Amino acid sequence: MTVHEFRTRPGDAKRGDASDGAVLADQVGGRLSRVDGPAKITGAAKYAVEQRLEGLTHAVLVESTIAAGRVRSIDTAAAEASAGVLLVLTPDNILPLRTATDWLGTPPPDVAYCPLARDITFSGQHVAAVVAESFEQAVAAAALVKIAYDEALAIVDLSDPKAGDGIPVDAMTKEWGEAETAFASAPVRICNAYNTPREYQAPMEPHGLIAKWQGDQLTVWEPSQWVDGMARTYAEWFGVPFENVRLVSPYIGGGFGSKAFAYGYGAVAAVAAKMLGRPVKLAVTRPQTFTAYGGRAATRQTVALGADRDGKIQSIVHRGVNETSVDGMWVEPLGSVTSVMYATPNFSSRQNVVRVNTVVPGALRAPGENPSAFGIESAIDELAYEVGIDPLEIRLRNYAEQDPHAKKPWSTRQLREAFAAGAEAFGWSKRSPEPRSMRDGNQLIGWGVAAGTYPVRRAYGEAVVRILAGGSVEVESSSIDMGQGTYTILAQTAAEVVGVPAENVVIKLGDSRYARAGVTGGSRLAGVMTGAVHKAASAALDQLIGLAISDPASPFHALQANTLVVADGRIASPRGNGPEVSIAELLRSVGREHIEAKGDTMPANSTVEDRYKNYTTIAMALPHTEGDYSRYSWCAHFIEVRVDEDFGTVRVSRVVSALDSGRLYNPKLAESQWKGGIIMGIGQALLEEGIVDRRYGRIVNNNLADYLIATNADIPDIEVISVGIPDPHSSVLGGKGVGELGIVGVAPAIANAVFHATGKRVRDLPITLEKLI
Amino acid sequence: MTSKTPTPIQLQINGHRHELEAEPRVTLLDALRDHLGLTGTKKGCDQGQCGACTVHIDGQRVLACLTLAAQAEGRAITTIEGLAGEDGALHAVQAAFLEQDAFQCGYCTPGQIMSAVACIREGHAGSDEEIREYMAGNLCRCGAYPHIVAAVRQAAVEATS
Amino acid sequence: MRDFSYLRAGSVDAAREAAALPGAMLLAGGTTLVDLAKCGVAEPETVVDITHLTGLDTIVIDDRGATIGALARMSTVADHAGIKSGFPAVSEALWQAASAQLRNMATIGGNLMQRTRCPYFRDPSNFPVCNKRSPGSGCSAIGGVTRSHAVLGTSEACIATYPGDLAVALVAFDAKVHLGDRQAAVDDFFLLPGATPEREHAIQPGEVITAISIPGTPAARRSTYLKVRDRQSYEFAAASAAVGVEFEADGRTIRDLRVALGGVATKPWRARAVEEALKGKVLEPEVVRQASLLAVEGAVDHGANHYKIQLAPRVVARAILKMGETA
Repeated sequence: MTVHEFRTRPGDAKRGDASDGAVLADQVGGRLSRVDGPAKITGAAKYAVEQRLEGLTHAVLVESTIAAGRVRSIDTAAAEASAGVLLVLTPDNILPLRTATDWLGTPPPDVAYCPLARDITFSGQHVAAVVAESFEQAVAAAALVKIAYDEALAIVDLSDPKAGDGIPVDAMTKEWGEAETAFASAPVRICNAYNTPREYQAPMEPHGLIAKWQGDQLTVWEPSQWVDGMARTYAEWFGVPFENVRLVSPYIGGGFGSKAFAYGYGAVAAVAAKMLGRPVKLAVTRPQTFTAYGGRAATRQTVALGADRDGKIQSIVHRGVNETSVDGMWVEPLGSVTSVMYATPNFSSRQNVVRVNTVVPGALRAPGENPSAFGIESAIDELAYEVGIDPLEIRLRNYAEQDPHAKKPWSTRQLREAFAAGAEAFGWSKRSPEPRSMRDGNQLIGWGVAAGTYPVRRAYGEAVVRILAGGSVEVESSSIDMGQGTYTILAQTAAEVVGVPAENVVIKLGDSRYARAGVTGGSRLAGVMTGAVHKAASAALDQLIGLAISDPASPFHALQANTLVVADGRIASPRGNGPEVSIAELLRSVGREHIEAKGDTMPANSTVEDRYKNYTTIAMALPHTEGDYSRYSWCAHFIEVRVDEDFGTVRVSRVVSALDSGRLYNPKLAESQWKGGIIMGIGQALLEEGIVDRRYGRIVNNNLADYLIATNADIPDIEVISVGIPDPHSSVLGGKGVGELGIVGVAPAIANAVFHATGKRVRDLPITLEKLI
Repeated sequence: MTSKTPTPIQLQINGHRHELEAEPRVTLLDALRDHLGLTGTKKGCDQGQCGACTVHIDGQRVLACLTLAAQAEGRAITTIEGLAGEDGALHAVQAAFLEQDAFQCGYCTPGQIMSAVACIREGHAGSDEEIREYMAGNLCRCGAYPHIVAAVRQAAVEATS
Repeated sequence: MRDFSYLRAGSVDAAREAAALPGAMLLAGGTTLVDLAKCGVAEPETVVDITHLTGLDTIVIDDRGATIGALARMSTVADHAGIKSGFPAVSEALWQAASAQLRNMATIGGNLMQRTRCPYFRDPSNFPVCNKRSPGSGCSAIGGVTRSHAVLGTSEACIATYPGDLAVALVAFDAKVHLGDRQAAVDDFFLLPGATPEREHAIQPGEVITAISIPGTPAARRSTYLKVRDRQSYEFAAASAAVGVEFEADGRTIRDLRVALGGVATKPWRARAVEEALKGKVLEPEVVRQASLLAVEGAVDHGANHYKIQLAPRVVARAILKMGETA
């Protein structure tokens, strides 16, 4: 199944992936095609709800139609009488569950958990569920469940007068110098508000699961960015040991932050399966995906920049607000980029959260950094025009030579190189500085630049590597691949370490029975898992060579060598003397079925509890400013837009982005992820917005015809340039984050380009046509 | 045939005859996935807004989510499972998708590939701009669009050479 | 989706007979009916599948114009050489609609029966109030999210936008809908909401659309369909215009002009005031822009859709001027 590319052309090698020239596709840094590709392009890859199980039943959720209040009564008679219906679950008949530990590791309160609500805190909340023999029967019966409510007044969004100023989040406060005073006395002052709306992950695979009980053993097939974390949640809900829950997620149809947790509908399906004694499939409908879990919170920021007449920043005063739910807490860290992008002697950032009647918001690609960059990267552009300096030049003039907040040196920061490489490839020097100075017929042309960053999040991982009798290598890990390329880069890592072709490596992922892994989020997985596999594979190789040297039955025994080398699946002496045998031949001669090694990157003195905590919560994650360095990925986006002067429509016509993700484990796949982030950023800038009917506190565009994401026709060719260098402080193999980085800075680059094209500054995303007409 | 209850339906899929019992309201998409286990065709929105369920009926690309299974009786249906040769040799479009890395999570991919095969056959792959427009009915949230265009371009060139 | 029975019509007469039964609905491409059944808006008792009827998908071009069978697919019509040359606005309206897959499914007859995308209309469980679905219940859209709603042809009962593209071109060129023995002008076939928004088409139970015909005219030959939207493709129009121009022998003076608007009105909207204002005039940008403002005479906005009043005349003007460029 593995597609095998042999050697990349030397000219293809880019910095950060192949500093030693040509890299074998099989090795780390090579352009190996996706090893899971053949399964995906032939339809053979089975996603979660595609399992065929004996006796499978189908569940459909019933959601609240009010945003606040209480369920007065639920009439299930018609639904229960409907053809094929097996069970109608309501808050009145659902089995009580226990509250589970949250992702931060906070011990849960000793209160029952009910995934179906009596007290309604948002429109679209799960109130009931219908389980039937067929999907069609369940859908039809769900429409017959009649719910009566006592409605209360809802706080519909951030602009609701009832919402107030919110709750200060002290942990978000970052301050140095005398920011307000310095701003007040600065010769040039810019102060504006920047808003982003509710945005949704909208992975192409809607959420859902199949749950099946056998005694007190639960198997859940569910797309998951965190197999072990979700297994723990299910186990705690039902009060069974962690080991009793098996969560299976070999393929994930996109997550973007939304598939890291077990949500209420998962509990509903698992409860129904337990109550019925039959497996239950619950596929969340596309409209339900807008309220079954949270998208990115709506945000508001005020950015005040005080500068001298040369554009040198003297002070940044930043205030942010994001919405959260009535009974849950989500903080979208709005000062995250603000506090590290530019050098400033005075700085103040504070943030509030405001409770509104919505589902608790969640993570969406670069949570925090994404809206944060929209604020600061728009603001510095405004400053550039104010003082009459090129937008690229002003960024260089305020370049932060060290982390201005942590006051530590960067581990690596190739941002200056990114600006240079991007500007060169884009042709930035040919830019005409005045707004509205470039046009093509009815189209105003604008060029914009913005920078982005994302911290290097680090954690520990574990992997099992087996060298099998036939000479192939097997790697097991509960980490996952939702398209980032985990299967492929781990195959490359194991192949390189053991010395076999990548096509002889089998990667098994996404099953909680495998060696454990923490969350796949925050761009941490590749660094964590290449490190763990590198370690486990090295241990397996050591065992193999040890056997070859010391086992009396080994053909190398007589050689009395200190070491041996393995390449292309064959073992030999480094000097070339003596025999050369395949791995399979060696294992046969020494009578071994396989060699197995487990490797992890946990500190040596870690306890069992430490390990459990590390893999099922984020409590053990290492701060990106831990130790002597501050670790971030960086990027610079150069974007051309064409704005129709009559219609206000914006089309992105050119993108050049230069990115520093450190060393790339597979440039082919990293480039895809970067482009994917940039494309999502184009949609965010121009199209995406959850629109609330303020009378009902309800999202009315909860589908893919009305919540617009970019289509193929919206996207030009995109050039990405790697400017990274290996960063030994960020990961075992020198990589930094890839997946989150690409989107950060895209929206402000587009807004800046739109200003350059039209002279209109849009500070509220998305930049739809009526804002420019 | 006017019954609301499950009735026998015969579907001609990938050159093979399949029989199932299904209510008239069962869509072709659910018939493929739930009744016949042909899960290569994906359900992304179930309301005609994403293209993940693209299949061919009588050689034309259509959405299985808005097609009733009963309606497709007597038509020739092709799904992603039927695209590669009997010997497992990849279709040129499949091979191009792999080579160009035209997908990430893989969920929209079968629909993209079915759409791309038809796009080339229709003669709508003449330029990158035309490919973008005629592939716009297949959403990809991972953002593989430029690579999809490259793959379609490559396969279109191969098809004419 | 409520259960229904499925009937495959063997002839047009059988389809008419079945369609007259209570609760029966015709199924052509399915892109509207199956979608609305899933939304809970359409609740047919019987679905009458007419897609297997033969002989209703022909396209005939002759010196009188084009006659297109009701079961011709949108994609087939869009790519038809005679339509592209004789009625470019029709071809352009079609290929800019929906997606390639939906255009392969949807038929010309079914396309005329396409229903509004008003989010309140499409979500009965959350918005039980809707005059289109439950006459007399009220309009949930008024006072709600109105960015996509109509500014022309609205009433106190309904502000839902007619979403289609093809019919905008058809109404510009005086096309007729063939309902068996009877023919109706497309402009009359689509009804204003008035006090009865539940009635969208002048069609009687048991009537089946068999064809549409478009008179061949010089204005239809020199025509275009300009569709403006935030997303480049696969989105309904924020505003669109079908325009056809016939010039006098000087190539500058407008002899005949056809203008219709989409995306801004409750039905395909013929802008006769613009046509009358420009007939006999020399095509000059400023004159065209001024006259195009007449396209939205009497427009009423509901807040978030105000931009359509500004946008629609600009779309009309651009389309007319584009026709002048090719003179």
